[in-house]
Amino acid sequence: MIRAIGKMDQPVVRVKDLAVAYETRYGDVLAVRNVSFEIHRGETLGIVGESGCGKTTVAYALVNYLGRNGKIVKGDIFFQGQSLVGRTPEELRRLRGDQISMVYQDPMTSLNPVLRIGEQMTEVLTVHRGMAEEEARQRCIEMLQRVYMPDPAKVLERFPHQLSGGQQQRIIIAMAMLNNPALLIMDEPTTALDVTVEAAVLDLVADLRRDFDTAILFISHNLGVIARVSDRVAVMYAGEIVEMAATARIFARPQHPYTQGLIRCLPKLGRSKTSSILYPIRGRVPPPSNLPPGCVFEPRCDYARDACRQQRPPLRELPGSHFTRCLFSEEIDPAQWKPDSEPVLLQPTAATQNNSQPILEVDRLQTYYRHPNTSLLSFIGLGRRDYVKAVDGVSFQLPKGCTLGIVGESGCGKSTLVKTIIGLEEATGGKAQFMGFDISRRVNKRDLDIIKELQMVFQNPDSTLNPVYTVGQQIERPLRRFRIVPPDRVHEEVVRLLRAVKLDEHYYNRLPRQLSGGEKQRVGIARAFAGRPDLVLADEPVSALDVSVQAAVLNLLLEIQREHGTTMIFISHDLSVVRFMADYVAVMYLGQIVEIGPAEAIYQPPYHPYTESLLAAVPIPDPEVEQEHIRLEGSVPSPLNPPSGCRFHTRCPRRNWLPDGGRICETETPPWQQVSAEHRILCHIPLEKLRQMEPVVHPTLSKGH
Amino acid sequence: MLVRDYMTPHPIMVGPEMRVTEAQKLMTENNIRHLPVVGDGKRLLGLVTRQRLAIPPEKLASLDVWEITRFLAELTVQRVMVTGPDLHTITPDKTLEEAADMLIRYKISGLPVVEDGMVVCGIITETDLLIEFQNLLGANDAGWRVVMRVPNKVGQYRKLVRAISENNWGLMALGGVRSPRHPDKWDVVLKVRHCTKEQLIAVLQAIEEQELVDIRETGGALPDSNVASRQR
Repeated sequence: MIRAIGKMDQPVVRVKDLAVAYETRYGDVLAVRNVSFEIHRGETLGIVGESGCGKTTVAYALVNYLGRNGKIVKGDIFFQGQSLVGRTPEELRRLRGDQISMVYQDPMTSLNPVLRIGEQMTEVLTVHRGMAEEEARQRCIEMLQRVYMPDPAKVLERFPHQLSGGQQQRIIIAMAMLNNPALLIMDEPTTALDVTVEAAVLDLVADLRRDFDTAILFISHNLGVIARVSDRVAVMYAGEIVEMAATARIFARPQHPYTQGLIRCLPKLGRSKTSSILYPIRGRVPPPSNLPPGCVFEPRCDYARDACRQQRPPLRELPGSHFTRCLFSEEIDPAQWKPDSEPVLLQPTAATQNNSQPILEVDRLQTYYRHPNTSLLSFIGLGRRDYVKAVDGVSFQLPKGCTLGIVGESGCGKSTLVKTIIGLEEATGGKAQFMGFDISRRVNKRDLDIIKELQMVFQNPDSTLNPVYTVGQQIERPLRRFRIVPPDRVHEEVVRLLRAVKLDEHYYNRLPRQLSGGEKQRVGIARAFAGRPDLVLADEPVSALDVSVQAAVLNLLLEIQREHGTTMIFISHDLSVVRFMADYVAVMYLGQIVEIGPAEAIYQPPYHPYTESLLAAVPIPDPEVEQEHIRLEGSVPSPLNPPSGCRFHTRCPRRNWLPDGGRICETETPPWQQVSAEHRILCHIPLEKLRQMEPVVHPTLSKGH
Repeated sequence: MLVRDYMTPHPIMVGPEMRVTEAQKLMTENNIRHLPVVGDGKRLLGLVTRQRLAIPPEKLASLDVWEITRFLAELTVQRVMVTGPDLHTITPDKTLEEAADMLIRYKISGLPVVEDGMVVCGIITETDLLIEFQNLLGANDAGWRVVMRVPNKVGQYRKLVRAISENNWGLMALGGVRSPRHPDKWDVVLKVRHCTKEQLIAVLQAIEEQELVDIRETGGALPDSNVASRQR
């Protein structure tokens, strides 16, 4: 409802020309400069940017958590009309009082692990509001219902570790809202969550904002998430706001070259490697201690001119309350943008021509983990043995040179499957054959030749590189171990590999701590490809990286794969990335594959109901795309005791399509239904019915940049 | 129409130790007339209003120029705020009429909205009530504002609404009051759109027992630039 108001609506927060510095051994480093914005009641401002660009520093400045060495050096922050800068901690405490709440990225670190949820939640009310214990409890139950927590009274009795990540984050949000704050700061609140849970939490944030009129500052690196929750978006780069406008506007007509670049390097849900290419932004974010003299984005900008190098551009207003920190926004047309070198589109032939002979055959593979049973009987060896069925009867074949993408929520067994194939876990049943050799045994029982042919790229490059060895030594190791080249040519080969991953030979003697995240991941890729393997298993290789770096690493993987004809298994929680990379996609749920087929078939109806829900949850960085609203209830059941019949029946939103409310799903294991030669779905619902599904993402997708 | 939905949520609030001069500045800068004073946990202690900030003339006469400065510099809001039985509050689950009743009865211009005892969650003022009065009569939408004088009998609204809806015209607002100078009649105010003045007059005059008192075009772009619109 449009409502006329006769009084001036003052913003809840107004940040004016803020600059924050951290004291270091080398003097003060300005982490944030010239940041100005305001947030009104009931409005969400999204701040988006890559890591290290100062998003979190802005949030911490608002609540004065800058730490011992952080300080506000310039500018002012007004909260509810009063300045927060230059006050004593006691004054600040009183000013902010119970009016600002904050939600952090990792819910587990915000909850006290030794107190029951009920004690932690009621404390907010009994301490701040002097409420009686019983009344506070009642209020907490109401608030938990508001955040759609199933069975709230029981949840109050639990400890934090007994709840799933999504439930924990809901508790945190409920706690933040108990005090009815005027301002809620959310710093990457959904980054640690699964895509299905993330979608539910984002819906919740929107509901709460409407009902409580809270002003929200929402920080995320994910453009899709920002597009879904924000009214306005501020794009930060190297400590400055480079562009700010209403959400629909900034995605439809980005005015700053950095924003345009960010949007270009995102894989779109409807695009694959054969139809499009990702354009990474060259270079990297400058460190705050060593900024270029002019525009901070100038060294990476395709439109840089002399004027850009001479002065720092001001944040100026374009028509429609669109702010940009670029001197030439009016002249730049992103549609006219051309990459430096014409990209080569991958030909689909590479994937399809030699699919006659599968390189990897997996047949009813099982990996069970023994679950420690704490009963006395098991202590003397008589107890029932419990198994966590991490992978339970997975079968697929993978032709040479193709990429299989595996998607699913956390805990569905993606990583265990890959670990079993590479031999880090031993299969408890079934068969796995690689080029005709049996690979169901552990890696230490395998031949060196097979070990050589299977290599892995890990998720977190920080923990997979040995911090005390140089980059060169780490890439050398597989070369020497597998005797790929004669010992006198090892160095030469390492340099070749470094070049192949777009790093030069100067990196040979560097230590991992001297590299950025993207560079470390390149070293990880170089090491995986050093043994010239036939099969590379990549477990979330880009999820720890920023979007602009992610694009470069994905391109690199594709290029190397094409060059060597390597087969790849690619795990990701990001369905757009999988769509881009994979020729075939397998959707896993609770240790089983529920749908497998060519990538383009998976993203179109007929879907498995689980695939449909996953697609509906993907945050799409385009506010104009319409998505079906399907939300999964609850979390993945325990693989210790998976549901009978169809494992998805406890959460399936399409069960009622079957007669009798889907009674059959509870009792009988669903059959494989063959959609086409390569596409099959594990579901009771007849294919004709599945074919009638609406596409989840409504196709404005053809429009692109 | 409950206080919850029409109050200003998250009002600007201050602590009891704030200097009066600072409070005055805050109120002027933010263009507000009521400043709830709260302690820990947003619990209401008192209310500062513009009148409370004025120094009474008899006191003013007894102070010289130097003393005024010192007097003001040391004065905190807790010494000037409205407290005790003069401090009136309302809860969010009350109706707007109840809020209006309190404002009229105590001759005050605003009420802090409190929940859980004394925790401030909003403020509702005369302005909020006037805005809703305006919205209730559809003042901000373009259309024909009509006043009909109807007898005090059952079924008058039905005749009126049927006449308009039979023509598929939009009825945006409808309100009735006892006619000021004709105690046996009621004046019904309506806002109608999607029709011409002539059509409307013809239809309304045909209604039995009722009398068309006034018709004029109102709403649309209001000349007052101070009126901002916002989404709710």
